[in-house]
Amino acid sequence: MIRIEPEPWAAMVAHARASYPDECCGAMLGSTDGDTKIVRQAMALENAFEGAQAARYELRPADLLAADKAARERHMNLIGIYHSHPDCDAYFSITDLRNSCPWYSFVVLSIQEGEFHHANCFLPNADQTEAPKEELTY
Amino acid sequence: MAKILIPTPLRQFTAKRDSVTVPGATVGEVLAALTTEFPDLRRQIFNDEGKLRSFVNVYLNDEDIRYLGKDATPAAEGDTLSLVPSIAGGRWGRRFRLPTPGARGGLR
Repeated sequence: MIRIEPEPWAAMVAHARASYPDECCGAMLGSTDGDTKIVRQAMALENAFEGAQAARYELRPADLLAADKAARERHMNLIGIYHSHPDCDAYFSITDLRNSCPWYSFVVLSIQEGEFHHANCFLPNADQTEAPKEELTY
Repeated sequence: MAKILIPTPLRQFTAKRDSVTVPGATVGEVLAALTTEFPDLRRQIFNDEGKLRSFVNVYLNDEDIRYLGKDATPAAEGDTLSLVPSIAGGRWGRRFRLPTPGARGGLR
């Protein structure tokens, strides 16, 4: 399961609301306690998708590399990725699945008319064929 | 010889080490040595044809090896390799509003 601490959670929701009606994206840094991943810091990253961003996002690998370095410097780990779905539920779309990576937890925030509605977390497999839900608390 | 930074979720395959130094004169040789030493890592990085998985990018220091010499890029002592995924997505193709909590009348 994954637990997001109040401060990073507030930052993620604020980022998603500020980006509305476009999608936002970012990295989640934290630690692991047994089977529980704990998100202690959210790092907003630029949506680098070249085109309409209301329904797409893309992370630059160089930005992810920088996020991983930042995590190591802060004695944390890069444990997940988040992005928003404006005016849509927090499901893991086929676009999300085909461009995913099995190494990280993927949190999706549903933003309805500019306000946070609900969120889910997913764990895609290595073949990018399915992404079961991961228990999420925030 | 180069140091490889191991992403957190892959450390379960490298005896929990966050970096590993292995021999090799090129990036390809270093990755081969890495997955020889830690065979369980192979499936995470390479597909069944032995090619890097589509979502895996390899950086030599701060440069993507695709823009250097790919697998043949020289790896010298003091160099650092990073495994960085390509990640994208989006709600593409789907758009609808959900009932607002507490709102009357269901869908707005």
